[in-house]
Amino acid sequence: MTRQALDLTINGESHQLMVEPHWSLLHVLRRELGMTGTKENCLEAECGVCTVLLDGKAVNSCILLAEQARGRSIVTIEGLGDPEHLHPLQAAFIEHGAVQCGYCIPGMILTAKSFLDERHGRVPSEAEVREALSGTLCRCTGYQKIVDAVIAAARQMNSWPEAARKA
Amino acid sequence: MSTYERRVAGKRLKRIDGIGKVTGKHVYASDFALPGMLFGKILRSTEAHARIVRLDVSKALALPGVRTILSAQDIPQILFGTAVKDRPVFAADVVRFRGEAIAAVAATSLEIAEAAVRAIEIAYEPLPAVFDMEEALKPGAPLVHGAWGDYQALPVLDREGNISGRSSMAGGDIEAGFAECYRVYEHRFTTQHVHPGYTEPRTAIASWDGNGDVSVWCNTQLPFDMKNMLAEVLDLPASKVRVVVPGIGGGFGGKLRVGVEHFAAWLARRSKRPVKIVTTSEEELTDAYPRQPTVITLRTGVSKDGILIAREGRVLLDCGAYANSGPATAALALQMLAGPYRTPHFSYESVAVYTNKGSTGSFRAPAGPMGNFAVESQIDLIADDLGIDPLEFRLRNVYREGDKGPAGDTVSSVSIEESLRRAADAIGWKDRKPGPDGGKSRGKGLACSWWLTTGGSSGVYVKINPDGTVTVVSGAVEIGTGAMTGAAQILAEELGVDLGDINATDVDTHLSPYDYGAQGSRTAFSVGNACIAAAQDLRRQIGELVGPLWNVAPESVRLEGKGVVSGNNRLSLAEVAALSQRTGGGLISHGTFIQPMPTFDPTRVRNHPLPAWTSHSFHTHAVDLSVDDVTGEVSINRYVVAQDVGFAINPTYIEGQIEGGVAQGIGQALSEEIVYEGGRVLNANLTDYKMPTMMDMPRVECILIEKPSVNGPYGAKGVGEPPCIQPPAAIANAIAAATGVRIQTLPITAEKIALARLKDGD
Amino acid sequence: MSLNASSRSAPPAMSFSFHRPGSLDAAIAFAREQGDAARFLAGGTDLIIQINRGRVAPRHLISLDGLGLDRIDEAATEYAIGAMVTHDAVVNHPGFQTNLVALAQASAVVGGRQVRNIATVGGNIVNASPAADLVPVLLALDATVDLRGLNGTRSMPLDRFLVERGRTERRPEEILTAVRFDKPPAASATWFLKAGRRKAMEISVICVAAQLVRGGKARIAIGAAASRTVRVPDAEVLVERQGAAAFREAGRIAADAVAPIDDVRASARYRKLLVAALVERALVACAGRIERGEA
Repeated sequence: MTRQALDLTINGESHQLMVEPHWSLLHVLRRELGMTGTKENCLEAECGVCTVLLDGKAVNSCILLAEQARGRSIVTIEGLGDPEHLHPLQAAFIEHGAVQCGYCIPGMILTAKSFLDERHGRVPSEAEVREALSGTLCRCTGYQKIVDAVIAAARQMNSWPEAARKA
Repeated sequence: MSTYERRVAGKRLKRIDGIGKVTGKHVYASDFALPGMLFGKILRSTEAHARIVRLDVSKALALPGVRTILSAQDIPQILFGTAVKDRPVFAADVVRFRGEAIAAVAATSLEIAEAAVRAIEIAYEPLPAVFDMEEALKPGAPLVHGAWGDYQALPVLDREGNISGRSSMAGGDIEAGFAECYRVYEHRFTTQHVHPGYTEPRTAIASWDGNGDVSVWCNTQLPFDMKNMLAEVLDLPASKVRVVVPGIGGGFGGKLRVGVEHFAAWLARRSKRPVKIVTTSEEELTDAYPRQPTVITLRTGVSKDGILIAREGRVLLDCGAYANSGPATAALALQMLAGPYRTPHFSYESVAVYTNKGSTGSFRAPAGPMGNFAVESQIDLIADDLGIDPLEFRLRNVYREGDKGPAGDTVSSVSIEESLRRAADAIGWKDRKPGPDGGKSRGKGLACSWWLTTGGSSGVYVKINPDGTVTVVSGAVEIGTGAMTGAAQILAEELGVDLGDINATDVDTHLSPYDYGAQGSRTAFSVGNACIAAAQDLRRQIGELVGPLWNVAPESVRLEGKGVVSGNNRLSLAEVAALSQRTGGGLISHGTFIQPMPTFDPTRVRNHPLPAWTSHSFHTHAVDLSVDDVTGEVSINRYVVAQDVGFAINPTYIEGQIEGGVAQGIGQALSEEIVYEGGRVLNANLTDYKMPTMMDMPRVECILIEKPSVNGPYGAKGVGEPPCIQPPAAIANAIAAATGVRIQTLPITAEKIALARLKDGD
Repeated sequence: MSLNASSRSAPPAMSFSFHRPGSLDAAIAFAREQGDAARFLAGGTDLIIQINRGRVAPRHLISLDGLGLDRIDEAATEYAIGAMVTHDAVVNHPGFQTNLVALAQASAVVGGRQVRNIATVGGNIVNASPAADLVPVLLALDATVDLRGLNGTRSMPLDRFLVERGRTERRPEEILTAVRFDKPPAASATWFLKAGRRKAMEISVICVAAQLVRGGKARIAIGAAASRTVRVPDAEVLVERQGAAAFREAGRIAADAVAPIDDVRASARYRKLLVAALVERALVACAGRIERGEA
């Protein structure tokens, strides 16, 4: 099959790629671009470790064709905070002991980000967090400290102006 | 134990590898790649037991991009295995389970490798197969391994036919014991296959260098065991095999043994290119190392006032087609049959059985949940029958300090009573059958257990750098538990530095000192002790270095506040490290530790590789749940764990172990099962293999009990495995309290409860 | 040594070409040209998995993105949900929070949040999975589907559109553009219930939707209980005649009417038990909402 030209906007940067039509966004991120912060596991949208943001919404990159992301804005974990300037969610995950093996964590954090962004600063209840993040499996933590971290981050982000929250 | 205030150990500090993990920069094996790398794919059997009558790879080999195809005929016929050397790399003439590897392809892309696997032509001649353990033990049952008698195996094992190992423990006089009982109860329990469920698939990347040495980057929990096993399989001296673990996305005992590393190594050797293999979910659920199913029968006799007098128990454990850790797991089940209870007369037997299903392994607390489910379910059945409160029944029978375990070993640092009382208090035990609750029935249950802290030796190299930081090189892998953060906290405590001053390296078997591995609740315990030993040695080195300078006795030199102090003399640790580099090659030490083995009574034990337990831990789980009166759906209202951790090195990550272990236990209790029909797995995907989601998990309330162990660092005990032991039993007991229905087969699905209640209502 | 991961993105035996037609008519014309070799792509959350598992191998994927099918239109008497509307959009639609709440309830339990942000209403219908969560709700609403083909648009009741597992009345080149249903009267309610082994990320073992209109019609639809999502007219008629007194009996009738299978998720016997229970509960919930004015 012939490759097609595809421009993807990832973490605010434009990438010009030649892709096979059947390549998933996950494949393009990990193999073509070497952006391995986005993880792979079940490849059937059951585990959530491949989650990225597409126009701000959490999606499973394993079953999304790269073509489907054409013209849209993609955010991966590499586009959140960096070690010197962690996003509040990243800091809260460390602070609350929500990270163990860490393999689900990039997907978990991005899902949490999209969830909190959509709430425009309203701090969620524990039940709301559990509902929103239930599409990502974590086998290490039993989820409790993840829930705590998300709520703590929400409280912190709540004190920010809207523009800063979205950043 | 010293009682001084600790600065680092015991504190809720942030883990040392956290930032890499939340920013996506932490490199896992699955993220790792080498230039020119090929992609490997495995052809797997579609038959459960069959002779391979034809294998033709010529069409596959002709596909553009295919570099190498290997099958049994292309490599030496080496059998490998942990307890029994019974497993080939590729099925030679016979396949023994559906999913067994027959050939492997390396190609320039995964697409091509997969196409090549599909293009391999194969024909089978079916053989009689056996899928059920009890059937496999019957005379005339098909033999899974016709040549079992020729296999090399650990001398401790008692093997025969479809039995890969048989162990027993006995004490007192079982017949006399039963004769004096007021009542004797007999029950049968069954447990299921469950997968460890690590989120990172098993991965290996292998590359051979010009000296004929192979490096394998993989996500194993046991790099040194992997190195030795690969040397065997590759027919090489172990010194020519290097295993590196860049990062690992969960293990839980499922990544102890060779998974795809040997395929990658062989393919790389023949193709002369690096080869990467990553398992799929389907491969994980058909050819991994899940927890073994068991059939457990218990016969227990008690006095009228609920004192355990005699117990006979038998565990059948389904290893699948290859023994792996089955015999050892079956043996460990014997201690689980004993439980944390005084039982004067007992006779326990376990049998590890071959069947034509996928192999199995040492999933977190091997044998734990199975034995505990049987024992703790039966305790409730007995207590109910005698009209004794189940908590009270347990309190009358649990071990006291200094009691003898089943092997005649002394049980010390016993805290089972405290854990029972505290868990029961926290759950509100006095009101344990709240009853109807708007279309639901509510009840509470508890289960207690004991477990060991596994031995095996650990070594660390600790280096003090001239910038004042400390590097610890360990052969133990950080699999996520935080154990290496715990060990680093201990090291920081001992060296008078902060946790932030400690760097831990990845494991590379060419560079790292030996470690028995991240298994058996031992990592923080054993590596922590090795760190204490290394720190002591560094103190000695530093004393010998600065003592003459300051004209003080080397023994007077203390390490504190990132400095070296004696009297009024003080130098920073950085200055001393720099001084040592200028004058003596730098500050570096090799600390080691091995847990002493306790004495036991060999006449009580037969064919048991681990007869006496070390540094026991004790724990109780209590659960409050509601069951839908019609659908049987279980909702957990509250979950409490009271676990004796000896000393909480980092309470945050200990809670993390407990919360995560409970989640796995709840999965085993309620929803998870690899379902076999004949030899075929019906749910080889994560759509139908049901691990708990965030919506399924309650909050877990952790009560950390600190009754110090003799051998642990600052009294710590092993923590990681126990939390997944009790959930099935505690939940089964709570469901029985809520509904009156007793389910003796795992998992306890809503369907089982609903249909059982329907039957009860008839 | 480089950090450049492999991917196991399970590759299809044969790749496909990806098409973005500029209009619905162009999509239809192209589909007609390619026949069986082409498949329309909505969210792809099911189709891509099926391709990766090797169950289907289309040579052309025709994207329906950007063709204006992603709107929920509210008219005086009806709603029309475009085929490309995501489940997430249904969950959050202000019109689906009261007497049409079953739509939001059903869409809220389709996969995880990440799937709901991509998976579409049209895909859920056209797939014709008997376990599709939204379909019983739409059946209970007497929904109509719009099919656009070579000769314009035709409409038919969803109940007629669904044939059996994986089969509908859609012609290969036809595009399901929207599903429409009447706005229910104020004094009415809908409810959706689902049973699975877990509390999230489940394919329904049974799902049930009901609609009750005070003094009017009753509708009961059930998923995962037969070779397609079904309504239970006998139970509906009984409820219309006898009201709340017949809710339990309606459940029993429904359980007798369905023909579930035994599979790895549940036994047929348990599924029937669930049908009886969930039908009754859904009706009770609807009646309660009408009673309390929550509808």
